[in-house]
Amino acid sequence: MSVPRVSRVARTAAQKCLDEFGTNTRHVRSAVLLSADGFEIAALRLDHHGASRMAAMGSSLAAVASAITQEAGLSGFERMLVESEAGIVLVLHVPAALSTLAFVVVAEKKAVLGQLLWSSAACVAAISGAFNAS
Amino acid sequence: MRDAHTHRDLEQGIGGEEFKIVFTGPMGAGKSTAIAAISDSAPVSTDVLSTDHSVCAKATTTVGLDYGSIMLGNGACVRLYGTPGQARFRFMWSILGQQAAGIIVLIDASQPDALVQLDTFLDAFDTVTPIVVGVGRTGSPRALSADAFVNRLEAHGRVMPVFSVDVRRKADVVLLVDTILKLIEAADVALEAR
Repeated sequence: MSVPRVSRVARTAAQKCLDEFGTNTRHVRSAVLLSADGFEIAALRLDHHGASRMAAMGSSLAAVASAITQEAGLSGFERMLVESEAGIVLVLHVPAALSTLAFVVVAEKKAVLGQLLWSSAACVAAISGAFNAS
Repeated sequence: MRDAHTHRDLEQGIGGEEFKIVFTGPMGAGKSTAIAAISDSAPVSTDVLSTDHSVCAKATTTVGLDYGSIMLGNGACVRLYGTPGQARFRFMWSILGQQAAGIIVLIDASQPDALVQLDTFLDAFDTVTPIVVGVGRTGSPRALSADAFVNRLEAHGRVMPVFSVDVRRKADVVLLVDTILKLIEAADVALEAR
């Protein structure tokens, strides 16, 4: 069994950030905070199986986005936006002192994109603060 | 960088075409190393720090894909894709396996479940696409021999080339690619003869 080296304090703080994000942001279907190598750290509205799958896919997307950013000569991947007929998937880089994390958000199509981006960025900042403090 | 001498063997019989070859196998088997060993330019890498050292002690792991390419003298291009090794990235195996002309399965013979890993990766891809197996670290203590993998394949009714390789050596990786290209060519000839 794989266990990411994330402290219980940081994990609890991250879960609180996600819960607040879910409460304060309209039309969010699910979200997961993950380690760069694809392990879930905290999840919103996902069971363990769903969170594991989303974490693995989120890490692949973040890694590919980071690679194409580098290939294009643009440094510092920050976020990736996927739009479908039915909704939106956001993949955001989460800067943390001791580890690289990513945050994946799945939202309904009727979500206001600007509000979703702003709220997601605020959640990422809160998570970063929690990880850097713990 | 491109090595014309080393690639010479790959140039026979196949010209002006493009081939997608996928390197797959468990974490730590050497997929990224193999692609880096022969790619004409620095490969695209999606390696990240690994937090899971229960399976493999590697510091980094591929979570998206590796990508490299080699141009042959006759204008043919071989595109080299590497998959992540862990089962949780199985969705990437399917994505990268689409339209592959050939699969190279790399196995670490020193892993206690190496034979099961071989089964896992063979089952993940269709039975039509040509496959070559490269077995690494056969010289390690308690490692299985390449024959053990041949016997495993025969027990499952599968026949395919199995090589003992060190993927850090360019010549060994070229051997695997050369073999898969020959299998692809033979399959094409057989198809045309029908």
